[in-house]
Amino acid sequence: MTGPQPSALSTRALVAGYEPDLPIVRGVDFSIRSGELVIVLGPNGAGKSTFVKAIAGLVPIHSGATMLGGFDITAVPTHEKIRHGLAFVPQTENIFATMSIHDNLLLAANVLPKEKRSRRVADLYAMFPDLAARPSLRAGQLSGGQRQMLAVARALIVEPSVLILDEPSAGLSPKIVQEVFAQLKAINDTGVTIILVEQNVKAALAIADRAAILVEGQLRHEGPAATLAEDPIVAELYLGARPAGKAATP
Amino acid sequence: MNPQLIMDGLIAGAMIGLGAIGITLTYSILRFANFAHGEMISWGAYLALATSGLLGSLSGALLKPIGPFSFGWSLPLAVLAAVALTAGLALLVDALLFGPLRKRRSAVIIMVMASFGASLALRSLLEFIFTSKPVYFSKALQIALPLGGGLRATPDQLLSLAVAAILVVAIHILLTRTAIGRSMRAVSENQQLAGVAGIDARKVIRTVWMLGAGLACIAGVMAGLLVQIRPYMGFDLLLPLFAAAILGGIGSVPGAMLAGLIVGLAEALGVQLIGAEWRAAVAFMILVFVLLLRPQGLFGRAE
Amino acid sequence: MSVELVAYVAFFLTMALTYAVMCLGLNVQWGQTGLFNVGVAGFVAIGAYVSALLTTPDAPDRFGGFGLPILVGWLGAALATGLASFLVGWLTIRLRADYLAIATFGVAVTVQLVALNLQSITGGPFGIGFIPRPFANLAGDPLAFSLLNLGVLIVVVALLYLALEHLLRSPWGRVLRAIREDETAALALGKNATRFRLQAFAIGGAIMGLAGATQAHFVGFIAPDNYVPLLTFQVWAMLIVGGSGNNRGAILGAILVWGIWAASAGAIASLFPPDQQARAAALRIVLIGIGLCAILLLRPRGILGEERIVSRHLARLKPARRTASNPTSPEP
Repeated sequence: MTGPQPSALSTRALVAGYEPDLPIVRGVDFSIRSGELVIVLGPNGAGKSTFVKAIAGLVPIHSGATMLGGFDITAVPTHEKIRHGLAFVPQTENIFATMSIHDNLLLAANVLPKEKRSRRVADLYAMFPDLAARPSLRAGQLSGGQRQMLAVARALIVEPSVLILDEPSAGLSPKIVQEVFAQLKAINDTGVTIILVEQNVKAALAIADRAAILVEGQLRHEGPAATLAEDPIVAELYLGARPAGKAATP
Repeated sequence: MNPQLIMDGLIAGAMIGLGAIGITLTYSILRFANFAHGEMISWGAYLALATSGLLGSLSGALLKPIGPFSFGWSLPLAVLAAVALTAGLALLVDALLFGPLRKRRSAVIIMVMASFGASLALRSLLEFIFTSKPVYFSKALQIALPLGGGLRATPDQLLSLAVAAILVVAIHILLTRTAIGRSMRAVSENQQLAGVAGIDARKVIRTVWMLGAGLACIAGVMAGLLVQIRPYMGFDLLLPLFAAAILGGIGSVPGAMLAGLIVGLAEALGVQLIGAEWRAAVAFMILVFVLLLRPQGLFGRAE
Repeated sequence: MSVELVAYVAFFLTMALTYAVMCLGLNVQWGQTGLFNVGVAGFVAIGAYVSALLTTPDAPDRFGGFGLPILVGWLGAALATGLASFLVGWLTIRLRADYLAIATFGVAVTVQLVALNLQSITGGPFGIGFIPRPFANLAGDPLAFSLLNLGVLIVVVALLYLALEHLLRSPWGRVLRAIREDETAALALGKNATRFRLQAFAIGGAIMGLAGATQAHFVGFIAPDNYVPLLTFQVWAMLIVGGSGNNRGAILGAILVWGIWAASAGAIASLFPPDQQARAAALRIVLIGIGLCAILLLRPRGILGEERIVSRHLARLKPARRTASNPTSPEP
């Protein structure tokens, strides 16, 4: 928002999709500044989820590039991306349900140098006291909100520069969504750059700096979150040409 | 009922259990039923035999029986080499066959079929090299010691049981308490998420092949020591191995071992009740009952 | 051409066509439906033994020998094997894909065991002899005998081929393919996928049983040794070489692989001294095992490949799932 800052993550003409002849993301130029929180919006099937999965290495990239802090990570294998500081939280099945909370965290800490592992696990327990209460509990027995906490904690353990979340509010009650988003905002305030794919437009716009709107695999619109909520273009593109007055309701 | 039946069943069950651990691990991580796993048992036994023979020809002192056992130091040394060689063989088969098929995202059933082809080729290769004549690690006969309660066992048998028990505990600790074990469980549960969490699936897959093949090799050496070595020894164990892996619940190491013991005991009981020639049918009956009543196995998760 | 050569070629082709029948059966299960049967030898054996029991003359030392006509034997073989396949399928088809493979493997092991040990019915290791051969009264004239037998097999294969092609193009066949290509799409059509698969598995099994019966009656003698896992493997090699999903490929693959198999016997045997012939036989199996793996790696669609009938439409419907349910991924 203030002056030119280094881009934390950017994509250039990104084309991606599961099948070579069927691109779902079709040439996206996207950039997020360090410390920013950007939400990616768009109608169903617009390719939001595919877009972030392609950045994370879960969907094949056909052409274009992804840069992380000036470093080209397009061809970096999926499991190496976290070592470069890119953490991704999938929408569903984002924790290892058969393993304990503690094992989930230890597993994630494994990419760190040996001497840092136990300290980071302790840090995360301090950050999420709910998880610290019962470290030996099987993660599959956690409630929806706690699962998201664990998934985020798992991602944060490596102190990523960029954290990407694919619809963290999916399937959660409005109250829990507020808690999760407050937590994300707090994480963002510590300096972590966050990209958030969301359907829950109203709640997400409330914490975001900026929003990007994907339609049919292309970036159609970008703007500050505060003004976007009132923007008739958002209404038209995202909610399907309804009067601007009702645009804020997801 | 003859108490000796229990000893026979436990010994057969320990071998089946060790083999079934390999099946259950490859199944849960690579997600296909590996019909070539039996061949790792046979190859392990023959590799140990060849290495042991080589060591014996270098130094006769290595052939002198250790304490009450039927074999000399050449065998334990050969086992170490054979475990490494069998693991190498598994990695080679993966590099030549399963790896390329995986890269092409072949369907599960193509992998199963490829393993079937590999099984046939590997087994016949043993037959080609060593012929189908049974061979033995040692010609020495052992006296079974009375253990009380009517049980008798040879020192070799007791050693095999102890080794199997130690290995199961070791593998269980490896899986639950170490980084590579957690990585294996993670890949088994959700390969995508494991990748996102920084786990290199290829490394985990290599570990699983080596672990499965190493255990198979030891099972093969046990079978060779207590029964005999034949090119078909592993293939004949395949049905009991699958029965045990499914009964134990795919992915569960303690389950595979416990189920291996159950299958071994059931086979011993079957041999007693209806005759030795029907041994192989017992595993099939167990398989049918598990699939009918509890397809997820004793320790498995329902899908 | 000498009479001996013609008789030999006829003999060779007749044998190859009995394998072609097995291949057609496997094609219904695997090629059309994607069901993996690792126990082909067991199902073929069931057919062979049932037909032998029904048609051989009464034997004092074992059960049966009912002396029924050959056609009754073949029909009985197909029915019995179809029923056995149905039971195995019923047990496993709703479970993971490879549980069916494991179960069929178990069937093959168990059938082998029964053939070997249930002496009072199967004749034990010595098997059953005196199985009536078609046109046995002409056995004195090798040329006529072998040509007529070849004729019988040609008729059987042709009838099966026509029936299967008809089935394939019927609504039933189309649903079957749809299920194989994409289960979600098939379920969306409102069909019960499990029922269709089960039917296909039973029909394929019945055809394998028929194959076992025709082979038993052509050779005139059966024993447990004929039904080892190698047989399963050969039939698989035939179908893969010919191209799974393709009935003409199944027949062509059977003739081709049986030809290679027969020719390699002589070639490899000549490389080894007489006392090493067991080794030669083992080497032959190594080579065919490697050959099958190589085909899976290099040319997964076989020589003829698969005929596309409904798959194009379904491929468009759900492209992302194709790799998950199709036997082979599309070439990049």
